Amino acid sequence: MPILETQNLSYVYGENTPFRVQALENVNLSIEKGELVGIIGHTGSGKSTLMQHLNGLVKPSSGKVLLDGADIHASKAATYAARFRVGLCFQYPEYQLFESTVYRDIAFGPRNMGLSKEQVDERVRRAASYLEIRDTWLNKSPFDLSGGEKRRVAIAGVLAMEPEILILDEPTAGLDPRGRAQIASLIENYRVSTGSTILIVSHSMDDVAETATRVLVMDNGAVALSGTVDEVFRDAAALERHGLDVPQITRVFLSLRARGVEVRTDIYTEKQARRELIRLFKKRGVLQ
Amino acid sequence: MIRDITIGQYFPGKSPVHNLDARLKLVLTFVYIVSIFFCKNFVSLGVSLVYLVFAVLLSRISLKLIAKSLKPIVIIVLLTSVLQIFYNDDGTVLFQRGWFEITTGGLIMAVFTSVRIIALVLASSLLTYTTSPTLLTDAIERLFSPLKKIKINVHTIAMMMTIALRFIPLLIDEVDKIMSAQKARGAQLDSGGVLKRGQALVPVFIPLFVNAFTRAYDLAFAMECRCYRGGEGRTRLRVMKFCKRDYAAIAFTAVCLAGIGVSNALLTALI
Ligand SMILES: Nc1ncnc2c1ncn2[C@@H]1O[C@H](COP(=O)(O)OP(=O)(O)O)[C@@H](O)[C@H]1O
Ligand SMILES: [Mg+2]
Repeated sequence: MPILETQNLSYVYGENTPFRVQALENVNLSIEKGELVGIIGHTGSGKSTLMQHLNGLVKPSSGKVLLDGADIHASKAATYAARFRVGLCFQYPEYQLFESTVYRDIAFGPRNMGLSKEQVDERVRRAASYLEIRDTWLNKSPFDLSGGEKRRVAIAGVLAMEPEILILDEPTAGLDPRGRAQIASLIENYRVSTGSTILIVSHSMDDVAETATRVLVMDNGAVALSGTVDEVFRDAAALERHGLDVPQITRVFLSLRARGVEVRTDIYTEKQARRELIRLFKKRGVLQ
Repeated sequence: MIRDITIGQYFPGKSPVHNLDARLKLVLTFVYIVSIFFCKNFVSLGVSLVYLVFAVLLSRISLKLIAKSLKPIVIIVLLTSVLQIFYNDDGTVLFQRGWFEITTGGLIMAVFTSVRIIALVLASSLLTYTTSPTLLTDAIERLFSPLKKIKINVHTIAMMMTIALRFIPLLIDEVDKIMSAQKARGAQLDSGGVLKRGQALVPVFIPLFVNAFTRAYDLAFAMECRCYRGGEGRTRLRVMKFCKRDYAAIAFTAVCLAGIGVSNALLTALI
């Protein structure tokens, strides 16, 4: 049974006003335990709206969200419990820091769960270590950190609730390439050591190509494509139709191919690219 | 939800009311509101209501939205009506029990005050619904520009108003976002007693203020980078100019005012 599922989920912003927007239309998806799902789509395609449905923050206009087969809007208590089982980290989470110290901010979620002081402390330290937050920061004000550091603290605030499903809405948006790579590898480490189910939302392919076990492409409030990284990224034309580009590295290989170089074009990550180039150089005798 | 607030909101459109000169709209709204209080009987009140209904229909704003603008004043209207019925003992008695009596005079007064309050709110909502905040402050700046003579910095005040108005929807958005984010971490913002709710707002307001100050600094820098130096010597992109439509609106309002005056004079005064 899928751990998380949506059935004919639809959502409308501003019903009965001139600003009516159909943000989601008949979305059916099911997430299995332990998956790392990349959700991509251009800006305004409904990704963030969908994510806010998955932890019960937004009530669907029609349709259902099932967590372990049970409707998360069955009762108020069920909805509240879902917040802790499905951890949602919003876009630009650093704008939500508010406590006097980093430690207290990370502890906000666990404290709301009603855990004992020792349990809270344990979780804060564990979350901090996953995100490589140094002990010396814990007593600093979160407002004194750099942008990338704040982002890590904010993500730790969600991780500390130790949710079964972790949703990250554009976790690397607005960071420099180094910051992006760091966040990506920290998340991957977290997944490997805990086996959590993770959903990563992004408008850029490059973020999810490396690690995702499955990719969903959203367009116009609906899931337009879905499959493994290979299946989805192979069809550059379909991606373009949905307002997306193939990963940068894939574009390099596509244009090499267009110039008559005999390379494969199903290259989505740096690792694959390196392997393919080495193969090519060897074939041409540039490398031994 | 917090997004349901419509007061001061602008709904873009291309209707004749939208297209009226903003200065004129401001003045006409003011004149209209004053005129409501000069209506002395039901006929003149009727004339002013017809004028308002006509303006609302012309604006092509959905009636639902118009009704929504009345939501916050329902209690005020009910309260004043009840008070009028209580305290007015003119006219014939319709109903009596002990010291409590309902008289025709009381009922008429109740209807009159309710209609006046409603018309007042509708007229001002119509103004903000159909005029973009930028145009509105622009109009205010121009209408009050004579005050420059007595050393009041009209431009700065207008600029502050424009920026404040621009920031309202942004801040509402932000409150919404921060509330969602804290709820996602288990904050309970809509349950518990007053004290608990007050405490629960701390995680919302601290980031809100921090972000608002950051934004204000950024905006100040951005304005300075574009050489903003206050109103002196500043020229305008949009020059406001009266056209046929505006004169028609003036004529129409004049007819309405005349109607109110005539009915006041010809018919016996009610109050
Ligand atoms: N709070 C809101 N009120 C009204 N419309 C909204 C709101 N949030 C998002 N929308 C609209 O819903 C659509 C989907 O937005 P969103 O889910 O944020 O997309 P994405 O995260 O993919 O960029 C967009 O058209 C957006 O304008
Ligand atoms: Mg988004």
